[in-house]
Amino acid sequence: MPRKKISEFRAKTILAKELGTAYSGVSIDLKANWQSTVDSLAAGGSYVVKVDQGVKGRFKKGLVKLGRTKAEVSGDIAELAAKGFEFMLVEPQMDHAADSERYLAFERQRAGTIISWSAAGGVNVEDAADGIRQAVFTTEVAGRAAEALGVSTDTLQLLAKTFNDNYWSFLEVNPLVVMDGKVGLLDAAVEVDTEAAFFVDGRWTPEDFRDYTASAPLPQAAAVEELASQSQASFRLAVLNPQGNIFLLLSGGGASVALADEVFNQGRGKELGNYGEYSGNPNAEETQIYTRQIISLMLESKAPRKVLVIAGGVANFTDVRATFKGVLAALDEAKAAMREQGIKVFVRRGGPFEVEGLAMMRSFLEREGLLGEVAGPEMMLAAIIPLAIKELEVTA
Amino acid sequence: MSTLNISALRALDPKIVALGSSKGIIQSILDFDFLAGRTAPSVVAIVATGRKSERYFFGENEVTIPVYSAVGRLPTSLSEQVNLFLNLSSGRRVLASSKQAIEALPALVGGVVFAEGLPEKHALELAETANAAGVWLAGGASVGIVVPGVVKLGPIGGVQAPQLVNSKLFTSGSVAVVSSSGGMVSEIIRLVATTGHALSFSLALGGERFPMSSPQEVFAAAEADPATTSIVYFGELGGRDEYELAEMISSGAVTKPVVAYIAGTVAELFETPPQFGHAKAMAASVDESARAKSDALRAAGAKSATTFAEFAQYVAELPGAVEAADLAPVIKAMSARKAGLIASSISHDMGDGEVQVLDQSLLDLADNNSFAKIVISMFLGKQVHSAELEAFVDYVLKLLVDHGPYVSGAVNTIVTARAGRDLVSSLAAGLLTIGPRFGGAVNQAALTWLEGVSTGVSPTALVEAYAADKRYILGIGHKKYRIDSPDPRVAKLLTFVDGLEQAKFTKFALGVEAETTRKKGNLILNVDGAMAAILLDLLAEKEGYSIEQLEALAATEFFNSLFILSRSVGFMAHYFDQVRLDEGLFRLSPAHVTHIRPASED
Repeated sequence: MPRKKISEFRAKTILAKELGTAYSGVSIDLKANWQSTVDSLAAGGSYVVKVDQGVKGRFKKGLVKLGRTKAEVSGDIAELAAKGFEFMLVEPQMDHAADSERYLAFERQRAGTIISWSAAGGVNVEDAADGIRQAVFTTEVAGRAAEALGVSTDTLQLLAKTFNDNYWSFLEVNPLVVMDGKVGLLDAAVEVDTEAAFFVDGRWTPEDFRDYTASAPLPQAAAVEELASQSQASFRLAVLNPQGNIFLLLSGGGASVALADEVFNQGRGKELGNYGEYSGNPNAEETQIYTRQIISLMLESKAPRKVLVIAGGVANFTDVRATFKGVLAALDEAKAAMREQGIKVFVRRGGPFEVEGLAMMRSFLEREGLLGEVAGPEMMLAAIIPLAIKELEVTA
Repeated sequence: MSTLNISALRALDPKIVALGSSKGIIQSILDFDFLAGRTAPSVVAIVATGRKSERYFFGENEVTIPVYSAVGRLPTSLSEQVNLFLNLSSGRRVLASSKQAIEALPALVGGVVFAEGLPEKHALELAETANAAGVWLAGGASVGIVVPGVVKLGPIGGVQAPQLVNSKLFTSGSVAVVSSSGGMVSEIIRLVATTGHALSFSLALGGERFPMSSPQEVFAAAEADPATTSIVYFGELGGRDEYELAEMISSGAVTKPVVAYIAGTVAELFETPPQFGHAKAMAASVDESARAKSDALRAAGAKSATTFAEFAQYVAELPGAVEAADLAPVIKAMSARKAGLIASSISHDMGDGEVQVLDQSLLDLADNNSFAKIVISMFLGKQVHSAELEAFVDYVLKLLVDHGPYVSGAVNTIVTARAGRDLVSSLAAGLLTIGPRFGGAVNQAALTWLEGVSTGVSPTALVEAYAADKRYILGIGHKKYRIDSPDPRVAKLLTFVDGLEQAKFTKFALGVEAETTRKKGNLILNVDGAMAAILLDLLAEKEGYSIEQLEALAATEFFNSLFILSRSVGFMAHYFDQVRLDEGLFRLSPAHVTHIRPASED
């Protein structure tokens, strides 16, 4: 996905290098030998320990520990680890007066790089949102913002250049501490444009991405992520309700949302087992792997009656026959289990080789007793959803 | 502001260059062209690596589309007429390749970027470059733009001929379809067609965060297009474009009726929803939600549907129903297409028994051309016009006919003939000796002169470089002739460049000779070297060949061809001669062979 958060550690490392300042924070990765990292900290220092996993509002959630001694750091890490986090950041504490906290952010928008600034930053900045000024970043604006923040124009120009050169999409420094004309970046959040990884010469890499998810992804979602990373085509799977009764095998970024909307509009949103889509003309083998994950999720659901909806719009160039070949291969593996659970399959699709693809699908589903409905573009896109829901009602 | 102008596009004779190749997509454009009644494909060039041309069907016949390694390498005749590009290269290559196209193509009016994964910064930079050049761009991740019966730039509307017909892409209508989602573009185009309407045009914005044509710009283009009477829009959660669209409707900047569906109400189910659909489909705040944006459009006066069924209903109710043309017979004819096993541009059978060579009747060719002219035209694959080239080839074909029974090829022919083999075997035995040491030096000499002239190196420097590498310069040196007793054939050959303005290859070769003969008297320009240089000069000056084209000829060993043809005469003459003399099997005696002990193991 295009925009992703990177670790605060990586963001600050890049910023320090570009600003020509020293950065002495250390990154803790629970999977690595973090104890030796902690042991290397200078004794007698005062430290900040915080979760470095792209979590918003860390301070208010108690995920930031202030004024810790070296001896306390390991215990803090263990405590945060117990809450399910695996990446943390340990930095020397920077003592400062509360009124030295500023707010600064850059965001890439169509109009240009938008700079947001406020002389009153800190954890409660959202309560004082009125104080935040916003403008397209220009030399003139840089001068105005620099004056309000009490920093040099050069510093802002350098930050903007860092933002741009590193293909960042979003940078928020809050608070930005300004004391005696010197700046300190207490907290920094950065979103990068993941499509630009090729152009940044390794300054940040996919290893630095920090996606916070409260729990580990289900194996099916992980398998799809793996598949997507290795394919030219696009694959996505989000598990919504593991005990749901409507499972979706959808194609097309837009059509998949319109179809999921229809489930929601019919008042069945909470029963959606998953959302996902494939597109970009995947081959039969890839489609088979993808379908297998959705079927596996569906079979694990304890809902008494379940339906599988295989649907998409009229494809431009995705070969319906080839992709359905993969779908059918996965259905074939699971047909007995699906029959046992009384699952019916509802299909609506169009595109290149739709006649052949749909005929193949119909004959398989009929033969295996799994047929709910098979329709082509003559059926309005979203009309397949009420048909599938009706199947749930008939037997409920 | 975008320069997208639909009525200008409708009046355009599209000439498309594909940056990158995708068989299915390009074929679908040619199918569209054919079904639209065009007499030639709109795709006139492909920029890709590898082959020199790609084969496609135009109707049921095959055509080739030339392939170039860079857009800057298109011949001027093509680059001056290309007015659209379709960028099929990968996301990371899009910025560079599109910028090159904008720079190299003076008649360019617009382009589509198909690739996903164009970095945000590149999209913004490219949009700016295009704007400054007065060119509109759509994408990234756009499936293209289509104007019924006129142009299809991308896979939009489908890649199979029946799909195109079912979507009524050959009937001009009045409905403009604008969508961020590529898949939904086709879906909605089909919906428009099946409800009895037809498109005025359709454009896929692409689902990336910063589409280079924004929905606002496309709405403005639809408003300005006289053929469009209504706009159908598919949008998604995320971003704030719809508020600007609503403002355009409220302020009267858009007066034509708008039907809209904003997908993504399902996201309301989640506190932190998963990423739905495309890159930009993530609502950062409540006002970026599908519902809020849909409501804003409705408040502004658009028919903004709350469900897809309602959206389909609104589309069905649009005015302007039209009948589609019946293209079933054309489709049927197209389905008979069969790819040829061989492609040939040299000759073909007209079907009535007449054979054409280089697109002229064989009899006309024989009546109106010398043998030399036919030979060189066929070898080059096109009719030559230069009398000087014809005269040179004629002379060379005569000059190379034989050079005594002592040379390898003649010896082999003679030995084979005396072994009692037939004409073709004896000729083949002679021909098989032709290579780098015998007769095949002309092509290598041509490569050397090409290297010298194209790099601008001085003859002296070239000689030194070859000497340093301990390499021979083929085309220089003779066993018998020396600077003080020159080869009379070379002197005669050199008269053929007398009338040339530059003769840069021959001058370079003579420069090399001046250098090498200072070292050794027999390192003169020989017949091979002279022929290569003169042929290069005549092709460059009289037939307009570029350095690249000459290099391509040398890569096929073209410069050896006249020797092979001419010397075949000599080989066959030696065969007939040996049969007449009937000397019996040739055999060496031990006296002819020096015995050398094999190297011993220790």
